[in-house]
Amino acid sequence: MLVIGEKINATRSSIKEIIQNRDAAALLQLAEKQAAAGAGYIDVNVGTGVGTLEDEMDSMQWAVRTIQDSLDTPLCIDSADPKVLETGLKARDGRPSMINSTKAEQKGLDEVVPLAQKYEALLVGLTMDESGIPKTADDRLRAADKIVAACEAHRVPLKNVYFDTLVMPISTDVKQGLVTLETLTQIKRKYPEAKTVLGLSNISYGLPQRSRINAAFMQMAIYAGLDGAIIDPLDTELMAAITSGEVLVGKDRHCRKYMRAFRHRT
Amino acid sequence: MDKQELLEKIAFNVVQGRVEAEDEGFDPGLEGQPAVTELVEQALEQGIDPKEIVLASLTESMEQVGEKFERNEYLIPDMLASAECVGAAMDILSPHLMKAGVESKGKFVIATVSGDLHDIGKNIVAIMLKGAGYNIIDLGTDVSPERIVQAVKEHQAPYVGLSALLTTTMRVMGEVVSKLKEEGLRDQVKVLVGGAPLSDQFAKEIGADAYCKDAFHAIDSLKSMAA
Repeated sequence: MLVIGEKINATRSSIKEIIQNRDAAALLQLAEKQAAAGAGYIDVNVGTGVGTLEDEMDSMQWAVRTIQDSLDTPLCIDSADPKVLETGLKARDGRPSMINSTKAEQKGLDEVVPLAQKYEALLVGLTMDESGIPKTADDRLRAADKIVAACEAHRVPLKNVYFDTLVMPISTDVKQGLVTLETLTQIKRKYPEAKTVLGLSNISYGLPQRSRINAAFMQMAIYAGLDGAIIDPLDTELMAAITSGEVLVGKDRHCRKYMRAFRHRT
Repeated sequence: MDKQELLEKIAFNVVQGRVEAEDEGFDPGLEGQPAVTELVEQALEQGIDPKEIVLASLTESMEQVGEKFERNEYLIPDMLASAECVGAAMDILSPHLMKAGVESKGKFVIATVSGDLHDIGKNIVAIMLKGAGYNIIDLGTDVSPERIVQAVKEHQAPYVGLSALLTTTMRVMGEVVSKLKEEGLRDQVKVLVGGAPLSDQFAKEIGADAYCKDAFHAIDSLKSMAA
C-alpha cells in the first residue's frame, strides 16, 4: 500500500499558519513525522484560501524546497490549479513526484494530464467531472474512461495513474461505501495496470468512533484491490488495518510486514 | 565476491528467508539485494563445489533458523520462508550434486496418516530433509497404512516419517508399525513420528524409533541413527 501522508493541508488552520508564517521547522517536522510513520509520499497542499494565485505559487515553491532540502521522501503536489501544480513539480528538480489531482473535466485533462508526462510524475485522477461526484459506480467509471483517454493521448502510462474512486460520508447516504468499492473493483477489472487510491476518512464523517469505520472500510478497499491511501500515517489503528488487511489478501509474503510490525507487541 | 563471502551471503539470505531479489527479509531494508537463487547460481558459475554450498550455506543456516525458532525469535512464517530458500537452492543444486556423484543420505517416505488432512508440518519436514540431503518420497495426506508400507517396500526406504495432528488419527501410526512388522520390514526401516498431540511416551508405546518435536529434531534424530 502506498501511503500518502495527508497532514500538510492548508485548509487546516494550524497548517495555514505554518504556511503564512513560513515556519520551516514546523513544516519539516510534520513531513518527517509522517515519513517516519510509514508514508511513502507526503502530500503538500498550500491553498490557504486567502491571497492571490501568485501567493499560492510562492507558498508551494517554499514548501516543496523546505521539505526536500532535508527529506528524501517523494512529495505529492496537491492543488486545484494547474499553475500551482507546475510550480511545485518544477521545484522538485526531477525528484519523484505525484500530482494531486485531475478530474475528468476539460481543463484538467488539457492542462494537468500533460504535466504528468512532462515531469514523469504519478497522477491522481478523480472519478468525477464538471457536474460533480457521480452517484453511481457506472458514472464514476465513465469519468475514469475520460481520464484514461486523455492519458493515452498525452502518453501517460496507466501504471502511473491512481484513480481516486471518491469517498462520501455514509452518514448522509448509507450506500456510499458500496459505490466507492464497486467503482474500485470495476476500475481494477477494466484497467488492470492502473492503480487506485482513496482519501478514506471522509467515509466516517458525522459518526462516532470514526476510526472503527475507517479501519473496516480500509480492509474492504484492500480486498477490492486498493493500491494507495491518502491518510494520516500517525493514525496507528488505520496503519494497523492496512498491515493486517494486506496480509489477509496475500500481499505480504510469509507475513513479513505483519510480523515485523507486531511480533514484539502483546 | 570471494568464495567465503559468497557462501556466507547465501547462508545469510537463507536465515533472512529471501528466495528472490524482490523478497523482504526478516530484517527490513533488504529488498532489491541479490537473494538465494541468484547467489547459488553465481556460486556454481564460480565453480564452487555444490556439496560445499549445501554444507556451508544451507545446513549451517538452517541450524541457525532452528535455534531461532526454538527461542521463539522466529515464528512459523519465518521458518517457512527459510525452508522455501533451502527448497529453491536444492532445486538448482540437485542436478549438479547428482552429476558430481554425491549420494543422497537415503530415501525417506513421508505421509500424513489416514483420516488426517494436515500437511503444513509434514511439508516443512519434507523441505528441511530435502535440504539436509535426503531423497523425499512424499505420499501426501490421508494415506492408509497399506499404502505407506507398500511405498517403503517398493522404494526400499530406510526411513519413514509419519505425521498426525489429531488425537483420533495418531493411533493410525501404531497400525503402520504393526503392518511393517507383519510384512517383515520393521528391521529395515526407521520410523519417525511427529505432530502436535504426540509425545516421546506415545512414540515408545506404538514402537516407533523416534518422536520428533519439529523438523530440526527430525534432522538430529536421523543424524544419530546414521552414526
